[in-house]
Amino acid sequence: MQVTAVVIKALSVVLQYGMLFFLLFFVYRAARLMTAAARPVVEDIYAETEITAAEAVLTVLEAADESMIGRRFAFGDSISIGRGDANDIVINDGYVSHRHARVELWNNLYVIEDLGSVNKTYVNGQEIAGRQYLQSGDIISIGTVTFQFGR
Amino acid sequence: MRNKSLILLGADAGILLCGLAILLLRQYPAADYSVLPWALGAIGAAFGVQCFLIKGKYTDDVWLLPIVMFFASIGVVMLGRLKPVLCIPQLRWLIIGLVVLLAVLQFSRKIRELMQYQYILGILTLLVLCLSLLFGTEIGGSKNWLVLGPFQVQPSEFGRILLVLFLAAYLSDHKDILRESGRRFFLLRLPPLRFIAPLLCIWGMAILMFVVQRDLGSALLFFCLAVFMTYMATGSKSYVFIALAFFCLGAFISYQLFGHVRVRFDIWLDPWADPAGQAYQVVQSLFAFAAGGTWGTGLAHGHPGLIPEVHTDFIFSAIGEELGLIGCTAIMLAYTLFFYRGISIALACRRELYMLIAAGISVSFYLQAFIIIAGVTKFLPLTGITLPFISYGGSSMVSGFIMLGILLSMAKKE
Repeated sequence: MQVTAVVIKALSVVLQYGMLFFLLFFVYRAARLMTAAARPVVEDIYAETEITAAEAVLTVLEAADESMIGRRFAFGDSISIGRGDANDIVINDGYVSHRHARVELWNNLYVIEDLGSVNKTYVNGQEIAGRQYLQSGDIISIGTVTFQFGR
Repeated sequence: MRNKSLILLGADAGILLCGLAILLLRQYPAADYSVLPWALGAIGAAFGVQCFLIKGKYTDDVWLLPIVMFFASIGVVMLGRLKPVLCIPQLRWLIIGLVVLLAVLQFSRKIRELMQYQYILGILTLLVLCLSLLFGTEIGGSKNWLVLGPFQVQPSEFGRILLVLFLAAYLSDHKDILRESGRRFFLLRLPPLRFIAPLLCIWGMAILMFVVQRDLGSALLFFCLAVFMTYMATGSKSYVFIALAFFCLGAFISYQLFGHVRVRFDIWLDPWADPAGQAYQVVQSLFAFAAGGTWGTGLAHGHPGLIPEVHTDFIFSAIGEELGLIGCTAIMLAYTLFFYRGISIALACRRELYMLIAAGISVSFYLQAFIIIAGVTKFLPLTGITLPFISYGGSSMVSGFIMLGILLSMAKKE
Protein backbone atom coordinates (compact mmCIF):
# COMPACT_ATOMS: atom_id res chain seq x y z
CA MET A 1 0.00 0.00 0.00
CA GLN A 2 2.84 2.31 0.93
CA VAL A 3 4.60 1.45 -2.32
CA THR A 4 1.62 2.29 -4.52
CA ALA A 5 1.23 5.65 -2.79
CA VAL A 6 4.89 6.49 -3.45
CA VAL A 7 4.63 5.35 -7.07
CA ILE A 8 1.52 7.46 -7.63
CA LYS A 9 3.17 10.47 -6.02
CA ALA A 10 6.31 10.08 -8.13
CA LEU A 11 4.30 9.53 -11.31
CA SER A 12 2.15 12.61 -10.76
CA VAL A 13 5.22 14.77 -10.13
CA VAL A 14 6.73 13.51 -13.38
CA LEU A 15 3.46 14.22 -15.19
CA GLN A 16 3.22 17.74 -13.70
CA TYR A 17 6.65 18.57 -15.08
CA GLY A 18 5.77 16.75 -18.31
CA MET A 19 2.77 18.99 -18.81
CA LEU A 20 4.83 22.09 -18.10
CA PHE A 21 7.47 20.88 -20.55
CA PHE A 22 4.86 20.37 -23.29
CA LEU A 23 3.42 23.84 -22.61
CA LEU A 24 6.76 25.58 -23.02
CA PHE A 25 7.91 23.27 -25.83
CA PHE A 26 4.78 24.10 -27.80
CA VAL A 27 5.17 27.85 -27.51
CA TYR A 28 8.89 27.68 -28.33
CA ARG A 29 8.51 25.42 -31.35
CA ALA A 30 5.44 27.28 -32.63
CA ALA A 31 7.28 30.59 -32.51
CA ARG A 32 10.37 29.14 -34.23
CA LEU A 33 8.47 27.29 -36.94
CA MET A 34 6.10 30.14 -37.70
CA THR A 35 8.82 32.74 -38.09
CA ALA A 36 10.67 30.32 -40.36
CA ALA A 37 7.50 29.66 -42.36
CA ALA A 38 6.80 33.38 -42.72
CA ARG A 39 9.82 33.92 -44.94
CA PRO A 40 8.90 32.20 -48.23
CA VAL A 41 5.55 34.02 -48.34
CA VAL A 42 7.38 36.94 -49.96
CA GLU A 43 8.11 34.82 -53.04
CA ASP A 44 5.13 36.23 -54.82
CA ILE A 45 4.46 37.60 -58.25
CA TYR A 46 4.98 41.02 -56.68
CA ALA A 47 8.51 40.28 -55.57
CA GLU A 48 11.47 41.77 -57.37
CA THR A 49 12.28 39.23 -60.02
CA GLU A 50 15.32 38.72 -62.20
CA ILE A 51 14.34 39.41 -65.78
CA THR A 52 15.86 36.98 -68.25
CA ALA A 53 16.07 37.43 -72.03
CA ALA A 54 12.84 35.53 -72.59
CA GLU A 55 10.87 37.64 -70.17
CA ALA A 56 9.09 40.94 -70.15
CA VAL A 57 8.01 43.14 -67.29
CA LEU A 58 5.09 45.47 -66.61
CA THR A 59 5.88 48.26 -64.15
CA VAL A 60 3.04 50.17 -62.51
CA LEU A 61 3.64 53.91 -62.93
CA GLU A 62 0.33 55.29 -61.70
CA ALA A 63 -2.60 53.78 -59.84
CA ALA A 64 -5.45 54.93 -57.60
CA ASP A 65 -4.34 52.32 -55.10
CA GLU A 66 -1.00 53.65 -53.85
CA SER A 67 0.29 50.26 -52.79
CA MET A 68 0.29 49.21 -56.47
CA ILE A 69 2.64 51.96 -57.62
CA GLY A 70 6.11 50.72 -58.40
CA ARG A 71 5.16 47.07 -58.51
CA ARG A 72 6.80 45.06 -61.27
CA PHE A 73 5.09 42.08 -62.83
CA ALA A 74 7.54 39.85 -64.69
CA PHE A 75 6.15 37.23 -67.04
CA GLY A 76 7.17 34.84 -69.80
CA ASP A 77 4.45 33.68 -72.20
CA SER A 78 1.40 35.67 -71.18
CA ILE A 79 -0.11 37.77 -68.44
CA SER A 80 -3.76 38.71 -67.94
CA ILE A 81 -5.09 41.94 -66.44
CA GLY A 82 -8.55 42.59 -64.99
CA ARG A 83 -10.75 43.01 -61.98
CA GLY A 84 -11.59 39.32 -61.58
CA ASP A 85 -9.65 37.10 -59.20
CA ALA A 86 -8.61 34.74 -61.99
CA ASN A 87 -6.30 37.32 -63.57
CA ASP A 88 -2.54 37.45 -63.05
CA ILE A 89 -2.73 41.16 -62.25
CA VAL A 90 -5.87 41.94 -60.27
CA ILE A 91 -6.84 45.62 -60.30
CA ASN A 92 -9.56 46.57 -57.87
CA ASP A 93 -10.96 49.50 -59.81
CA GLY A 94 -14.48 50.19 -61.08
CA TYR A 95 -13.19 51.26 -64.52
CA VAL A 96 -11.48 47.94 -65.16
CA SER A 97 -13.45 45.06 -66.66
CA HIS A 98 -13.57 41.59 -65.21
CA ARG A 99 -11.29 40.24 -67.94
CA HIS A 100 -9.76 43.37 -69.38
CA ALA A 101 -6.63 42.70 -71.41
CA ARG A 102 -3.87 40.18 -72.03
CA VAL A 103 -0.25 40.47 -73.14
CA GLU A 104 1.07 37.42 -75.02
CA LEU A 105 4.28 36.28 -76.68
CA TRP A 106 3.83 35.91 -80.45
CA ASN A 107 6.87 34.86 -82.50
CA ASN A 108 9.31 36.47 -80.14
CA LEU A 109 7.33 39.72 -79.92
CA TYR A 110 4.80 40.72 -77.30
CA VAL A 111 1.25 41.52 -78.33
CA ILE A 112 -1.41 43.24 -76.24
CA GLU A 113 -5.00 42.22 -76.78
CA ASP A 114 -8.12 43.90 -75.41
CA LEU A 115 -10.56 41.21 -74.27
CA GLY A 116 -13.72 43.24 -74.98
CA SER A 117 -13.41 45.63 -72.06
CA VAL A 118 -15.94 48.41 -71.50
CA ASN A 119 -13.48 51.25 -70.97
CA LYS A 120 -10.89 50.08 -73.57
CA THR A 121 -7.17 49.70 -73.37
CA TYR A 122 -4.80 52.49 -74.40
CA VAL A 123 -1.21 52.20 -75.61
CA ASN A 124 0.73 55.49 -75.64
CA GLY A 125 -2.60 57.33 -75.36
CA GLN A 126 -4.15 55.62 -78.36
CA GLU A 127 -7.09 53.25 -78.01
CA ILE A 128 -6.16 49.85 -79.39
CA ALA A 129 -8.36 47.93 -81.80
CA GLY A 130 -7.99 44.20 -81.35
CA ARG A 131 -4.30 43.31 -81.06
CA GLN A 132 -1.23 45.48 -81.18
CA TYR A 133 2.51 44.80 -80.97
CA LEU A 134 4.30 46.26 -77.97
CA GLN A 135 7.76 47.79 -77.90
CA SER A 136 9.91 48.33 -74.90
CA GLY A 137 8.94 51.59 -73.16
CA ASP A 138 5.31 51.61 -74.32
CA ILE A 139 2.83 53.08 -71.85
CA ILE A 140 -0.31 50.99 -71.30
CA SER A 141 -3.35 52.55 -69.60
CA ILE A 142 -6.08 50.41 -68.14
CA GLY A 143 -8.68 52.17 -66.01
CA THR A 144 -6.80 54.39 -63.58
CA VAL A 145 -3.68 52.24 -63.76
CA THR A 146 -0.72 53.02 -66.02
CA PHE A 147 1.88 50.38 -66.84
CA GLN A 148 5.19 50.69 -68.58
CA PHE A 149 6.08 47.74 -70.74
CA GLY A 150 9.73 46.69 -70.70
CA ARG A 151 11.82 43.82 -72.11
CA MET B 1 8.25 22.22 -43.18
CA ARG B 2 4.50 21.81 -43.24
CA ASN B 3 4.74 18.33 -41.75
CA LYS B 4 6.44 19.80 -38.71
CA SER B 5 3.09 21.24 -37.63
CA LEU B 6 2.28 17.67 -36.59
CA ILE B 7 5.00 17.99 -33.92
CA LEU B 8 3.08 20.94 -32.48
CA LEU B 9 -0.12 18.92 -32.51
CA GLY B 10 1.80 16.15 -30.72
CA ALA B 11 2.75 18.63 -27.99
CA ASP B 12 -0.94 19.54 -27.66
CA ALA B 13 -1.82 15.87 -27.26
CA GLY B 14 0.97 15.65 -24.65
CA ILE B 15 -0.56 18.49 -22.62
CA LEU B 16 -4.01 16.93 -22.78
CA LEU B 17 -2.88 13.40 -21.85
CA CYS B 18 -0.46 14.50 -19.10
CA GLY B 19 -3.11 16.72 -17.56
CA LEU B 20 -5.83 14.08 -17.64
CA ALA B 21 -3.40 11.48 -16.26
CA ILE B 22 -2.59 13.75 -13.29
CA LEU B 23 -6.29 14.17 -12.58
CA LEU B 24 -6.99 10.43 -12.89
CA LEU B 25 -4.03 9.52 -10.64
CA ARG B 26 -5.39 11.81 -7.96
CA GLN B 27 -8.63 9.86 -7.74
CA TYR B 28 -6.64 6.62 -8.23
CA PRO B 29 -8.60 3.77 -6.77
CA ALA B 30 -11.98 5.12 -7.84
CA ALA B 31 -10.94 6.83 -11.05
CA ASP B 32 -13.48 7.32 -13.80
CA TYR B 33 -11.83 6.49 -17.12
CA SER B 34 -14.80 7.38 -19.32
CA VAL B 35 -13.11 10.64 -20.36
CA LEU B 36 -10.16 8.88 -22.02
CA PRO B 37 -11.94 7.56 -25.13
CA TRP B 38 -13.32 11.05 -25.74
CA ALA B 39 -9.88 12.62 -25.31
CA LEU B 40 -8.28 10.10 -27.68
CA GLY B 41 -11.13 10.69 -30.12
CA ALA B 42 -10.54 14.45 -30.04
CA ILE B 43 -6.78 13.98 -30.55
CA GLY B 44 -7.44 11.60 -33.44
CA ALA B 45 -9.91 14.04 -35.00
CA ALA B 46 -7.41 16.91 -34.66
CA PHE B 47 -4.64 14.87 -36.35
CA GLY B 48 -7.06 13.86 -39.11
CA VAL B 49 -8.10 17.47 -39.76
CA GLN B 50 -4.47 18.63 -39.67
CA CYS B 51 -3.41 16.00 -42.23
CA PHE B 52 -6.27 17.19 -44.40
CA LEU B 53 -5.10 20.81 -44.05
CA ILE B 54 -1.49 19.88 -44.86
CA LYS B 55 -2.64 18.51 -48.22
CA GLY B 56 -3.54 22.11 -48.95
CA LYS B 57 -6.73 21.71 -50.94
CA TYR B 58 -8.63 24.45 -49.13
CA THR B 59 -5.98 26.36 -47.25
CA ASP B 60 -2.25 27.09 -47.22
CA ASP B 61 -2.00 27.59 -43.49
CA VAL B 62 -1.06 24.76 -41.13
CA TRP B 63 -0.13 26.69 -37.98
CA LEU B 64 -3.47 27.95 -36.72
CA LEU B 65 -5.08 24.62 -35.89
CA PRO B 66 -2.22 23.45 -33.59
CA ILE B 67 -2.46 26.75 -31.69
CA VAL B 68 -6.23 26.39 -31.31
CA MET B 69 -5.76 22.79 -30.15
CA PHE B 70 -3.23 24.08 -27.61
CA PHE B 71 -5.91 26.30 -26.08
CA ALA B 72 -8.51 23.56 -26.27
CA SER B 73 -6.23 21.02 -24.53
CA ILE B 74 -5.53 23.39 -21.67
CA GLY B 75 -9.24 24.17 -21.49
CA VAL B 76 -10.23 20.51 -21.28
CA VAL B 77 -7.60 19.79 -18.61
CA MET B 78 -8.68 22.77 -16.52
CA LEU B 79 -12.34 21.78 -16.85
CA GLY B 80 -11.47 18.24 -15.76
CA ARG B 81 -9.90 19.83 -12.72
CA LEU B 82 -12.61 22.40 -11.96
CA LYS B 83 -15.87 20.82 -13.14
CA PRO B 84 -15.26 17.15 -14.07
CA VAL B 85 -18.90 16.88 -15.18
CA LEU B 86 -18.27 19.33 -18.01
CA CYS B 87 -15.09 17.67 -19.28
CA ILE B 88 -16.80 15.22 -21.64
CA PRO B 89 -19.29 17.80 -22.99
CA GLN B 90 -16.34 20.10 -23.72
CA LEU B 91 -14.51 17.33 -25.61
CA ARG B 92 -17.71 16.62 -27.49
CA TRP B 93 -18.00 20.29 -28.46
CA LEU B 94 -14.37 20.21 -29.53
CA ILE B 95 -15.00 17.29 -31.90
CA ILE B 96 -18.16 18.97 -33.22
CA GLY B 97 -16.08 22.12 -33.74
CA LEU B 98 -13.50 20.22 -35.81
CA VAL B 99 -16.27 18.78 -37.99
CA VAL B 100 -17.77 22.27 -38.38
CA LEU B 101 -14.31 23.52 -39.39
CA LEU B 102 -14.16 20.97 -42.21
CA ALA B 103 -17.67 21.93 -43.32
CA VAL B 104 -16.76 25.62 -43.40
CA LEU B 105 -13.67 24.90 -45.50
CA GLN B 106 -15.77 22.76 -47.84
CA PHE B 107 -18.22 25.63 -48.33
CA SER B 108 -15.63 28.40 -48.34
CA ARG B 109 -16.37 29.22 -51.99
CA LYS B 110 -20.03 29.69 -51.18
CA ILE B 111 -19.14 31.91 -48.25
CA ARG B 112 -17.08 34.09 -50.57
CA GLU B 113 -20.07 34.41 -52.88
CA LEU B 114 -22.20 35.38 -49.90
CA MET B 115 -19.99 38.42 -49.42
CA GLN B 116 -21.67 40.19 -52.35
CA TYR B 117 -24.86 40.59 -50.36
CA GLN B 118 -23.50 42.94 -47.74
CA TYR B 119 -26.75 44.55 -46.67
CA ILE B 120 -28.40 41.16 -46.21
CA LEU B 121 -25.45 40.29 -43.96
CA GLY B 122 -25.94 43.54 -42.07
CA ILE B 123 -29.65 42.91 -41.55
CA LEU B 124 -28.91 39.32 -40.48
CA THR B 125 -26.41 40.62 -37.92
CA LEU B 126 -29.02 42.92 -36.44
CA LEU B 127 -31.64 40.14 -36.49
CA VAL B 128 -29.40 37.66 -34.70
CA LEU B 129 -28.56 40.22 -32.05
CA CYS B 130 -32.21 41.26 -31.70
CA LEU B 131 -33.20 37.61 -31.21
CA SER B 132 -31.57 37.60 -27.84
CA LEU B 133 -32.96 41.04 -27.00
CA LEU B 134 -36.48 39.80 -27.66
CA PHE B 135 -36.46 36.14 -26.65
CA GLY B 136 -33.42 36.10 -24.38
CA THR B 137 -33.37 34.16 -21.13
CA GLU B 138 -31.28 35.18 -18.20
CA ILE B 139 -28.49 32.78 -17.23
CA GLY B 140 -25.72 33.85 -14.92
CA GLY B 141 -26.59 37.53 -14.73
CA SER B 142 -26.76 38.44 -18.41
CA LYS B 143 -29.81 38.06 -20.56
CA ASN B 144 -28.13 36.83 -23.73
CA TRP B 145 -29.14 33.20 -23.99
CA LEU B 146 -31.62 31.54 -26.30
CA VAL B 147 -33.13 28.27 -25.14
CA LEU B 148 -33.78 25.94 -28.07
CA GLY B 149 -35.10 22.69 -26.63
CA PRO B 150 -32.16 20.92 -24.98
CA PHE B 151 -29.62 23.49 -26.17
CA GLN B 152 -28.78 26.90 -24.87
CA VAL B 153 -27.31 29.13 -27.51
CA GLN B 154 -25.57 32.46 -27.11
CA PRO B 155 -26.56 34.30 -30.29
CA SER B 156 -24.04 37.08 -29.75
CA GLU B 157 -21.21 34.59 -30.39
CA PHE B 158 -22.60 33.89 -33.85
CA GLY B 159 -23.59 37.50 -34.39
CA ARG B 160 -19.91 38.35 -34.13
CA ILE B 161 -19.07 36.27 -37.22
CA LEU B 162 -21.77 38.01 -39.24
CA LEU B 163 -20.59 41.37 -37.93
CA VAL B 164 -17.02 40.78 -39.13
CA LEU B 165 -18.24 39.67 -42.56
CA PHE B 166 -20.65 42.59 -42.87
CA LEU B 167 -18.12 45.22 -41.78
CA ALA B 168 -15.49 43.80 -44.13
CA ALA B 169 -17.88 43.84 -47.10
CA TYR B 170 -19.24 47.28 -46.31
CA LEU B 171 -15.91 48.93 -45.58
CA SER B 172 -14.05 47.45 -48.56
CA ASP B 173 -16.80 48.80 -50.84
CA HIS B 174 -17.03 52.26 -49.30
CA LYS B 175 -13.50 52.87 -48.11
CA ASP B 176 -12.81 55.60 -50.67
CA ILE B 177 -15.89 57.56 -49.71
CA LEU B 178 -15.22 57.08 -46.03
CA ARG B 179 -11.61 58.10 -46.48
CA GLU B 180 -11.81 61.00 -48.90
CA SER B 181 -15.09 62.86 -48.77
CA GLY B 182 -16.66 64.82 -45.99
CA ARG B 183 -16.45 68.15 -44.29
CA ARG B 184 -13.66 69.09 -42.00
CA PHE B 185 -15.05 69.72 -38.61
CA PHE B 186 -12.56 70.92 -36.06
CA LEU B 187 -9.62 68.54 -36.46
CA LEU B 188 -11.87 65.68 -37.49
CA ARG B 189 -13.06 64.81 -40.96
CA LEU B 190 -16.65 63.66 -41.02
CA PRO B 191 -18.10 61.81 -43.99
CA PRO B 192 -21.76 62.30 -44.97
CA LEU B 193 -24.15 60.77 -42.48
CA ARG B 194 -25.61 58.16 -44.81
CA PHE B 195 -22.23 56.51 -45.26
CA ILE B 196 -21.52 56.12 -41.59
CA ALA B 197 -25.09 55.21 -40.70
CA PRO B 198 -24.39 51.43 -40.71
CA LEU B 199 -21.45 51.99 -38.38
CA LEU B 200 -23.58 54.12 -36.07
CA CYS B 201 -26.17 51.33 -36.18
CA ILE B 202 -23.61 48.79 -34.95
CA TRP B 203 -22.39 51.12 -32.24
CA GLY B 204 -25.95 51.81 -31.14
CA MET B 205 -26.65 48.08 -31.09
CA ALA B 206 -23.63 47.54 -28.85
CA ILE B 207 -24.93 50.16 -26.44
CA LEU B 208 -28.38 48.56 -26.48
CA MET B 209 -26.88 45.15 -25.65
CA PHE B 210 -24.99 46.82 -22.88
CA VAL B 211 -28.12 48.33 -21.39
CA VAL B 212 -30.85 45.76 -21.97
CA GLN B 213 -28.92 42.51 -21.69
CA ARG B 214 -26.26 43.52 -19.21
CA ASP B 215 -23.82 41.76 -21.52
CA LEU B 216 -20.95 44.20 -21.00
CA GLY B 217 -18.28 41.93 -22.46
CA SER B 218 -19.91 41.33 -25.82
CA ALA B 219 -20.91 44.98 -26.08
CA LEU B 220 -17.34 46.11 -25.53
CA LEU B 221 -16.07 43.51 -27.98
CA PHE B 222 -18.53 44.53 -30.72
CA PHE B 223 -17.79 48.18 -30.25
CA CYS B 224 -14.00 47.79 -30.35
CA LEU B 225 -14.25 45.44 -33.31
CA ALA B 226 -16.22 48.00 -35.31
CA VAL B 227 -13.69 50.72 -34.43
CA PHE B 228 -10.64 48.59 -35.27
CA MET B 229 -12.06 47.44 -38.59
CA THR B 230 -13.05 50.97 -39.62
CA TYR B 231 -9.55 52.16 -38.80
CA MET B 232 -7.92 49.29 -40.66
CA ALA B 233 -10.06 49.91 -43.75
CA THR B 234 -9.81 53.69 -43.94
CA GLY B 235 -6.60 54.48 -42.09
CA SER B 236 -8.36 57.61 -40.83
CA LYS B 237 -7.87 58.43 -37.17
CA SER B 238 -10.99 60.61 -37.11
CA TYR B 239 -13.15 57.52 -36.65
CA VAL B 240 -11.12 56.38 -33.68
CA PHE B 241 -11.56 59.74 -31.98
CA ILE B 242 -15.28 59.92 -32.81
CA ALA B 243 -15.70 56.41 -31.40
CA LEU B 244 -13.71 57.29 -28.28
CA ALA B 245 -15.89 60.32 -27.67
CA PHE B 246 -18.99 58.19 -28.27
CA PHE B 247 -17.65 55.58 -25.86
CA CYS B 248 -16.77 58.03 -23.10
CA LEU B 249 -20.19 59.64 -23.38
CA GLY B 250 -21.93 56.24 -23.27
CA ALA B 251 -19.81 55.08 -20.36
CA PHE B 252 -20.50 58.25 -18.40
CA ILE B 253 -24.25 58.13 -18.98
CA SER B 254 -24.51 54.44 -18.13
CA TYR B 255 -22.41 54.97 -15.01
CA GLN B 256 -24.95 57.57 -13.91
CA LEU B 257 -28.02 55.57 -14.88
CA PHE B 258 -27.35 51.88 -14.32
CA GLY B 259 -26.51 50.22 -11.06
CA HIS B 260 -24.71 47.23 -12.50
CA VAL B 261 -22.29 49.40 -14.47
CA ARG B 262 -21.54 51.49 -11.38
CA VAL B 263 -20.92 48.34 -9.34
CA ARG B 264 -18.45 46.98 -11.90
CA PHE B 265 -16.59 50.28 -12.07
CA ASP B 266 -16.41 50.79 -8.31
CA ILE B 267 -15.15 47.24 -7.84
CA TRP B 268 -12.42 47.96 -10.32
CA LEU B 269 -11.36 51.13 -8.54
CA ASP B 270 -11.35 49.60 -5.08
CA PRO B 271 -12.16 45.89 -4.68
CA TRP B 272 -11.19 46.03 -1.00
CA ALA B 273 -14.19 48.17 -0.10
CA ASP B 274 -16.43 45.09 -0.11
CA PRO B 275 -14.21 41.99 -0.53
CA ALA B 276 -16.75 39.51 0.82
CA GLY B 277 -19.71 40.90 -1.10
CA GLN B 278 -19.86 42.35 -4.57
CA ALA B 279 -16.12 42.26 -5.17
CA TYR B 280 -15.82 38.66 -3.97
CA GLN B 281 -15.20 37.22 -7.44
CA VAL B 282 -12.46 39.65 -8.42
CA VAL B 283 -10.80 39.51 -5.01
CA GLN B 284 -10.73 35.69 -5.07
CA SER B 285 -9.29 35.87 -8.57
CA LEU B 286 -6.51 38.15 -7.37
CA PHE B 287 -5.81 35.79 -4.47
CA ALA B 288 -5.60 32.94 -6.96
CA PHE B 289 -2.94 34.73 -8.99
CA ALA B 290 -1.02 35.56 -5.83
CA ALA B 291 -1.18 31.97 -4.59
CA GLY B 292 0.10 30.72 -7.94
CA GLY B 293 3.26 32.80 -8.01
CA THR B 294 5.81 32.11 -10.72
CA TRP B 295 5.61 28.35 -11.05
CA GLY B 296 2.07 27.75 -9.83
CA THR B 297 0.86 25.32 -7.19
CA GLY B 298 0.75 22.47 -9.66
CA LEU B 299 -2.33 21.08 -11.34
CA ALA B 300 -4.94 20.01 -8.78
CA HIS B 301 -2.95 21.45 -5.87
CA GLY B 302 -4.57 24.87 -5.67
CA HIS B 303 -8.00 26.05 -4.53
CA PRO B 304 -9.48 27.77 -7.59
CA GLY B 305 -12.89 26.36 -6.69
CA LEU B 306 -13.41 29.37 -4.40
CA ILE B 307 -13.94 31.68 -7.39
CA PRO B 308 -17.54 31.75 -8.65
CA GLU B 309 -17.94 30.95 -12.37
CA VAL B 310 -14.36 29.72 -12.48
CA HIS B 311 -15.01 27.30 -15.36
CA THR B 312 -16.19 29.96 -17.84
CA ASP B 313 -15.15 33.57 -17.40
CA PHE B 314 -12.59 33.04 -14.66
CA ILE B 315 -10.74 30.05 -16.08
CA PHE B 316 -7.65 32.21 -16.53
CA SER B 317 -7.43 32.76 -12.76
CA ALA B 318 -7.49 29.00 -12.21
CA ILE B 319 -4.68 28.64 -14.75
CA GLY B 320 -2.81 31.44 -12.97
CA GLU B 321 -3.09 29.62 -9.66
CA GLU B 322 -2.23 26.10 -10.81
CA LEU B 323 0.20 26.71 -13.67
CA GLY B 324 1.55 30.01 -12.41
CA LEU B 325 3.06 32.91 -14.30
CA ILE B 326 4.78 30.44 -16.64
CA GLY B 327 1.51 28.89 -17.76
CA CYS B 328 -0.20 32.28 -18.12
CA THR B 329 2.68 33.68 -20.15
CA ALA B 330 2.65 30.62 -22.40
CA ILE B 331 -1.06 31.11 -23.07
CA MET B 332 -0.74 34.83 -23.72
CA LEU B 333 2.20 34.18 -26.05
CA ALA B 334 0.12 31.59 -27.86
CA TYR B 335 -2.68 34.15 -28.36
CA THR B 336 -0.11 36.56 -29.70
CA LEU B 337 1.23 33.92 -32.11
CA PHE B 338 -2.33 33.28 -33.26
CA PHE B 339 -2.82 36.99 -33.87
CA TYR B 340 0.52 37.28 -35.66
CA ARG B 341 -0.37 34.39 -37.94
CA GLY B 342 -3.83 35.83 -38.64
CA ILE B 343 -2.36 39.19 -39.56
CA SER B 344 0.26 37.54 -41.83
CA ILE B 345 -2.61 35.80 -43.61
CA ALA B 346 -4.41 39.13 -43.95
CA LEU B 347 -1.32 40.84 -45.39
CA ALA B 348 -0.84 38.06 -47.94
CA CYS B 349 -4.41 38.42 -49.24
CA ARG B 350 -4.74 40.08 -52.60
CA ARG B 351 -8.22 41.50 -52.26
CA GLU B 352 -8.99 44.13 -49.69
CA LEU B 353 -12.22 42.37 -48.72
CA TYR B 354 -10.43 39.15 -47.76
CA MET B 355 -7.71 41.14 -46.05
CA LEU B 356 -10.31 42.84 -43.88
CA ILE B 357 -12.08 39.59 -43.06
CA ALA B 358 -8.85 37.87 -41.99
CA ALA B 359 -7.66 40.87 -39.99
CA GLY B 360 -11.11 41.32 -38.41
CA ILE B 361 -11.26 37.71 -37.26
CA SER B 362 -7.74 37.85 -35.80
CA VAL B 363 -8.47 41.11 -34.02
CA SER B 364 -11.71 39.72 -32.64
CA PHE B 365 -9.99 36.72 -31.01
CA TYR B 366 -7.14 38.81 -29.67
CA LEU B 367 -9.49 41.45 -28.30
CA GLN B 368 -11.69 38.85 -26.67
CA ALA B 369 -8.70 37.26 -24.94
CA PHE B 370 -7.41 40.69 -23.92
CA ILE B 371 -10.73 41.88 -22.50
CA ILE B 372 -11.25 38.86 -20.28
CA ILE B 373 -7.61 38.49 -19.19
CA ALA B 374 -7.54 42.20 -18.35
CA GLY B 375 -10.83 41.76 -16.50
CA VAL B 376 -9.77 38.89 -14.25
CA THR B 377 -6.43 40.51 -13.44
CA LYS B 378 -8.20 43.81 -12.62
CA PHE B 379 -6.37 45.68 -15.36
CA LEU B 380 -9.73 46.83 -16.75
CA PRO B 381 -13.20 46.71 -15.18
CA LEU B 382 -14.49 43.15 -15.37
CA THR B 383 -16.73 42.36 -18.33
CA GLY B 384 -17.68 38.74 -18.57
CA ILE B 385 -16.89 36.98 -21.82
CA THR B 386 -15.36 33.60 -22.52
CA LEU B 387 -11.65 33.07 -23.02
CA PRO B 388 -11.62 31.87 -26.65
CA PHE B 389 -11.24 28.08 -27.02
CA ILE B 390 -10.35 27.62 -23.33
CA SER B 391 -13.53 28.44 -21.37
CA TYR B 392 -16.40 26.00 -21.27
CA GLY B 393 -19.12 26.80 -23.76
CA GLY B 394 -20.60 25.13 -26.81
CA SER B 395 -21.61 28.34 -28.62
CA SER B 396 -18.22 29.87 -28.00
CA MET B 397 -16.40 26.74 -29.22
CA VAL B 398 -18.47 26.21 -32.37
CA SER B 399 -18.50 29.89 -33.38
CA GLY B 400 -14.75 29.98 -32.72
CA PHE B 401 -14.21 27.08 -35.10
CA ILE B 402 -16.43 28.70 -37.74
CA MET B 403 -14.28 31.83 -37.56
CA LEU B 404 -11.13 29.71 -37.67
CA GLY B 405 -12.49 28.01 -40.80
CA ILE B 406 -13.14 31.35 -42.51
CA LEU B 407 -9.67 32.59 -41.51
CA LEU B 408 -8.07 29.42 -42.88
CA SER B 409 -9.96 29.68 -46.15
CA MET B 410 -8.65 33.25 -46.56
CA ALA B 411 -5.12 31.79 -46.46
CA LYS B 412 -5.66 29.96 -49.76
CA LYS B 413 -4.00 31.68 -52.70
CA GLU B 414 -6.11 31.73 -55.81
